[in-house]
Amino acid sequence: MTATDTAAPARTPALPIPPRPRQVAARAAATIVTIVVLVSFWGLDLEWSKIAQLPQDLVHYGRLMFSDPDWSMLPEAALQTWRSVSMAWIGAIAGVVLSTLLGIPAAHGVGPAWVRFPLRWSFAVIRAVPDVLIAIIILTVTGLTPFTGALALAIGGIGTHAKWTYETIEAVPPGTAEAVRASGGSLWEVVRWGLWPVAAPELMSLALYRFEINVRTSAILGLIGVGGIGAMLTQYTQHREWDVVGVLIIVVVVVTMLIDAVSGKVRRRIMEGATVRDVERKH
Amino acid sequence: MSEQSHAVGSEAEGATSASGSWPISLTDVTVRYPNGVVALKDVSLEIEPGQMVAVVGLSGSGKSTLIRTVNGLVQPTAGTVRVGEHEMTALRGKALRHARGDIGMIFQSFNLADRTSVFRNTMVGRFSHTSTWRTVLGISSHHDRDIVMRALDSVGMLEKVWERAGALSGGQKQRVAIARALSQEPSVMLADEPVASLDPPTAHAVMHDLERINHERGLTVMVNLHLMDLARQYTTRMIGLRAGEVVFDGPAASATDADFEEIYGRPVQPRDRLDVS
Repeated sequence: MTATDTAAPARTPALPIPPRPRQVAARAAATIVTIVVLVSFWGLDLEWSKIAQLPQDLVHYGRLMFSDPDWSMLPEAALQTWRSVSMAWIGAIAGVVLSTLLGIPAAHGVGPAWVRFPLRWSFAVIRAVPDVLIAIIILTVTGLTPFTGALALAIGGIGTHAKWTYETIEAVPPGTAEAVRASGGSLWEVVRWGLWPVAAPELMSLALYRFEINVRTSAILGLIGVGGIGAMLTQYTQHREWDVVGVLIIVVVVVTMLIDAVSGKVRRRIMEGATVRDVERKH
Repeated sequence: MSEQSHAVGSEAEGATSASGSWPISLTDVTVRYPNGVVALKDVSLEIEPGQMVAVVGLSGSGKSTLIRTVNGLVQPTAGTVRVGEHEMTALRGKALRHARGDIGMIFQSFNLADRTSVFRNTMVGRFSHTSTWRTVLGISSHHDRDIVMRALDSVGMLEKVWERAGALSGGQKQRVAIARALSQEPSVMLADEPVASLDPPTAHAVMHDLERINHERGLTVMVNLHLMDLARQYTTRMIGLRAGEVVFDGPAASATDADFEEIYGRPVQPRDRLDVS
């Protein structure tokens, strides 16, 4: 394109412009993606007329829910939210502990290949199963209790958190571990004092993030009846008691945002490393 | 040269070291990495007990690999490495870890766990002498604690013992790393570019610490350097490496600029010296 510079005398040797690469693969991919998007619109049976009506409906239901919320239900809503958050918290702790135990041996340089690959494969399988499905499978054994929810969150959490764990361990700069090895440390000691102290802040931060995710998921798990705010929400929606639903939505949004804000602050503080403070003062 | 005077020192202070100081011997050592790079070619060396040796070369010359074959962090493709009573190239698993316990090592980037206390970091030096379950749970005996505190005191870092390693300056971190190595009660001390991340005054202080360890405890010290003035000033023998081969072996103090040009494979430049004079 730049070759036709009229100002340059004809004698100037032609610039050795490298040939522009032909991006066949990229173009083919773009075409395929376009086709997939178009076909999926087809399959959804979209009723465009209803979309036009949506803003109107939103205002209508919004008024039903929030013009005169039934605040007498607030204590019950708070109690159920507390159950959901507990479910999320227990699920996060159990999931993180299991993920740490299973994720560290799955890291390259820690476990041998015959340990690593089956573990990674199991995490991938768990990741492929939605938490709700895990809960439905578990509740055949443990019944419709918040415990089922916590257990489902714990197992579902392994899929992602164990993956984060081995990825974090693998990303640890090798220096500290090399120093432990150089002074005669065994694999256990290398993991405990060479890898863990370096990876721990990030793993703790990810654990809190897991909790934040669980708070959301626990509300969804309520829909299948394991209790908590989600169960209450389904119930009142089905009875079309919009003034109660309004209260529930307000409570869910406020609590979730609060937890996100606090947890986010704590995570930032963990990652930045506190200002100089004495650790292990007890010794 | 002055090795004889060190031998006297090792007798006087030898009690602090588990088994005195040891010789290091490499015979026809070749290291070829899986990617095909030959880092060391047929290197043979005899290092006397109590010697303070500088290994000098540019980055990529193989000096990091050389020092890592001594404690078995790198296993040679061919040849044997002996350190004192241990034939490092023949050892595996527990025996290798035990042998490493007798060899202290410090690094360019200190390699401390920054989020952990100086105490915990130094305690790593006791691992080869302590059962695994105790170290994993972080339980330390009075004996180990005593050794760690003495090691920290000997490098002037005792008052920082409960501070986080990450809160220390570079020079302080390297001192803690030296204390970690000393608490192994080693017979040999390895140092891989120990002052390359430090400013000149701190670099001299750390080199001085290493010199003192060599003099007072009589430890055999092998230190990788790329700066010529540090090698001349602090070590008695210098080994020059270029492209994985030994191109110089002789007294450090009398090594001429021409000798360094032979090692570097290029004229001497201002950046080859720490102190601009």
